Amino acid sequence: MIADFLSPLRNTPEFDQSLDISPYAGLMGFRLRRQDGRLTTVMPYHADLIGSPFPPVLHGGTIAALMEMAALMQLLWDRKINYIPKTIDITIDYLRSGQPQDCFARGHVFRQGRRFATLHVQAWQADTDKPVATAMVHFQLTAQG
Amino acid sequence: MFLIPHAQRLGLRFLEKSGKNLIIEMPYNPELEGLPDSGMMANGAITTLLDTALGAAVYDHFDSYRKIVTLDLRVDYFEKPQPFSAVIVKTRCLKIGDQIVFVQGDAYCGDNSTVIAHGMAVFSHAEMTMGAA
Repeated sequence: MIADFLSPLRNTPEFDQSLDISPYAGLMGFRLRRQDGRLTTVMPYHADLIGSPFPPVLHGGTIAALMEMAALMQLLWDRKINYIPKTIDITIDYLRSGQPQDCFARGHVFRQGRRFATLHVQAWQADTDKPVATAMVHFQLTAQG
Repeated sequence: MFLIPHAQRLGLRFLEKSGKNLIIEMPYNPELEGLPDSGMMANGAITTLLDTALGAAVYDHFDSYRKIVTLDLRVDYFEKPQPFSAVIVKTRCLKIGDQIVFVQGDAYCGDNSTVIAHGMAVFSHAEMTMGAA
């Protein structure tokens, strides 16, 4: 299913695609964007993402979920894996509070062996140089459903 | 917790408190499935449940309303969640410092005693000042 989603996109230089093939990603409003040859996972702002109303800031969990999705998408994209690998763990450092604005995340495959992959993710909002959070994610690559 | 819009969206609810430990539930909801018709709630939803529950445990510890900020959060995914099952988190504060709280939580599926995920977070806490971001 995930291969059916990504394959047609590989030859598309620029796209902005909903990730609602996953119900949860659809609920979150996650999108996958490709621009200038780089992949970005986007969480467009909506009021349901707020974790603390006064002043309004994004729920930290939404940023964590966005970063895990960005890591997964980057891994699938770079390594042409056609199944969903198992997430082993995620470690998030929160650097700034998430403003009620769109949030972006981009993953980078640090290392991929035969069995495991390590990715680093950065999330930002209006200013690319001011990350709201960074994360490390490990995936297990043994084929499974 | 019910004042948190995103926690409301995920349907999170407080179940009980035993001593200092909170038990918080995310009822099964097909909208939260990672893959359609899998019955299994997405990692992102479980991570958010853990983050919310650990934060709530910190809030609960203090008598007055304090400014609580998550510094870091680590989630280990031990098992796939059981299909069509609620996920509950039991929290435990490990250390309450002057400025920092260490807290952890275990996630279970329904009545099962198998831990499916473990969360560990560090929060800072400070006096609430009006207008502070």
